[in-house]
Amino acid sequence: MDNNIDFKDLWKKQAISQPDIEDLLERVKQFKKAGVRSIWKTNILLAATSAFMIFVWYYYQPQFISTKIGIILGILAMVIYVGFYNRLLGIYKDSDATRDNHEYLQQLILIRKKQQFIQSAILSWYFVLLMTGICLYMYEYASRMTVLYALLTYGITLLWIGFNWFYLRPKQIQKQKEKIDSLISKFEEVNEQLKS
Amino acid sequence: MEFENIYKTYWERIFRLCMGFVNDRDLAQDLAQETFIIVWQKLHTFRNESGIGTWIFRIASNNCLRQIEKEKRFPKAELPSHITEEQHYSVEPQIQFLYQCIAGLPEMDRIIISLELEEVKQTEIAKIVGLSEANVRVKIHRIKEKLTQKFKENGQ
Repeated sequence: MDNNIDFKDLWKKQAISQPDIEDLLERVKQFKKAGVRSIWKTNILLAATSAFMIFVWYYYQPQFISTKIGIILGILAMVIYVGFYNRLLGIYKDSDATRDNHEYLQQLILIRKKQQFIQSAILSWYFVLLMTGICLYMYEYASRMTVLYALLTYGITLLWIGFNWFYLRPKQIQKQKEKIDSLISKFEEVNEQLKS
Repeated sequence: MEFENIYKTYWERIFRLCMGFVNDRDLAQDLAQETFIIVWQKLHTFRNESGIGTWIFRIASNNCLRQIEKEKRFPKAELPSHITEEQHYSVEPQIQFLYQCIAGLPEMDRIIISLELEEVKQTEIAKIVGLSEANVRVKIHRIKEKLTQKFKENGQ
């Protein structure tokens, strides 16, 4: 149809500047460093919190088994969270950029659906474990308080937990869901373009 | 094929493909560089099942598709900060218009027509996008019609 307009000729006239290959190799290096850094960041956070909890265990020598279980649950919650977070970062390694566009799009959709599932499931587990851990941990110290203070301490904590569970958690899940849903629907739309 | 050779041979073609997809010089440059980073990482897995060109164009077009994710995460700034840059290159209006039209097409059409204009064989295009050759032919025909129409409307 391009009998009077030579699109190919126009297309090739686009001005192009080719960056030096050294620039590219420099970017490869930075890219690798950034990957390592992001893994370090989350894992250092985990290590620091765990170290703090172990320090509490060691220094205050808790007597009750509940306190110890509480500490373990808290650490476990974070280990699971960070573990899956690391996996999410690496989730794109599952996608193979050398496949054809049609397969690649289907992969992207699948990965995003997987991500959505992992995120909401893990977030819930994280909250359950952490909150149970905190309640158990507090028991030893609350048992030494007067009834009024103990009730007050648990009351405030439970209120805070409730706020997290009923307000923050669903809100966070919803936010993630909206973001991922819009991506999935866009990819599905592009995939549909191949069928029409 | 050595990476350096691939980079020299394919940079222009990949850059134009990315430019057709986003019609933004800086972004296209980034996308093209990302493509070559992936090529660099994956080169050892290349098995000659397809031509190296087909293989590279697959990576490039997939990377363009992933650009959609970034767009959603960081919506383009409203300020036309790259206008001075555009002037610096002073591309002919007709060329600019072509790229603008292509970047306005649906995503898959952008990739298909860019490959066609890059003179990639239709059998290869079919392998890159994952359609049958007959389908590719029909699509190319339709897209060219659309482009011609737009050029005529615009009096180019």
